[in-house]
Amino acid sequence: MSQVIIYTNSTNGVSVCVPTGELPINEVLAKDCPAGAIIVDDSTLPQGADAQFFDAWKLNGSTVTVDFPTAQAHKLRDFNAAAVQVAQKRQLNTLAGIANEVSDADFTAELTAGRAAIAAATTTAQLVAIANPV
Amino acid sequence: MAGTIVADTIQDGAGNSTAMDNAIYGSAKAWVTWNGNGVGTILASYNVSSVTYRSTGLFTINFTNAFSDANYTVAGCPAVNPGNAGGYLGVSDNTVGASTTACGVYTVNSAAALSNYSRISASFIR
Repeated sequence: MSQVIIYTNSTNGVSVCVPTGELPINEVLAKDCPAGAIIVDDSTLPQGADAQFFDAWKLNGSTVTVDFPTAQAHKLRDFNAAAVQVAQKRQLNTLAGIANEVSDADFTAELTAGRAAIAAATTTAQLVAIANPV
Repeated sequence: MAGTIVADTIQDGAGNSTAMDNAIYGSAKAWVTWNGNGVGTILASYNVSSVTYRSTGLFTINFTNAFSDANYTVAGCPAVNPGNAGGYLGVSDNTVGASTTACGVYTVNSAAALSNYSRISASFIR
């Protein structure tokens, strides 16, 4: 179990300052962190699937939780980014005369199903289980 | 015990020598290797008091002892397995840039998207 320093940053997310051990954590708190930052055990931070949505963390008092709508939005953003890459690859394959392994209808259905699953998810574990297009 | 040695060159027992300028200006005054995944761990460091995880792929390296100015050179990279798309480390020029006490850095993948890596290294030379 290690101690870290947490605070709400300028984008309303949570910054986590991890000391290297060169200085006592109280000195790091005073030197490297803004007023209001607090020292917590890292075991109190979101774990498992919640840990994968760092950009959706919110600090309430001394407790960090995942803002689920934000996590959902980030998952959809990543899913769509992956979809764009796959679509570009499919387009290049077509231009090069290389047959796509998945039909356009199947690809469209995969995207629709993935986005529907993201919208229907109620936990971060469910979001993590939804595979991006490859 | 404090003291000062004044010399133009330094030499080892085998007779290999180098100009003192190389030692003064050519060595990293701070470096750190860390795990950027989630809220990871600091693997090793020198003259770095902490690493702040700001969001995916965005970090602030805080120096134990401040630099004389912010014109240091930064070199670093994330570790990527051979055959995988490359990853890159850069110095932030917006919210948290380079200062005498800290340096904001980011890591991106080959598509220029902010990404985390399990091993990231950065060194600061002045």
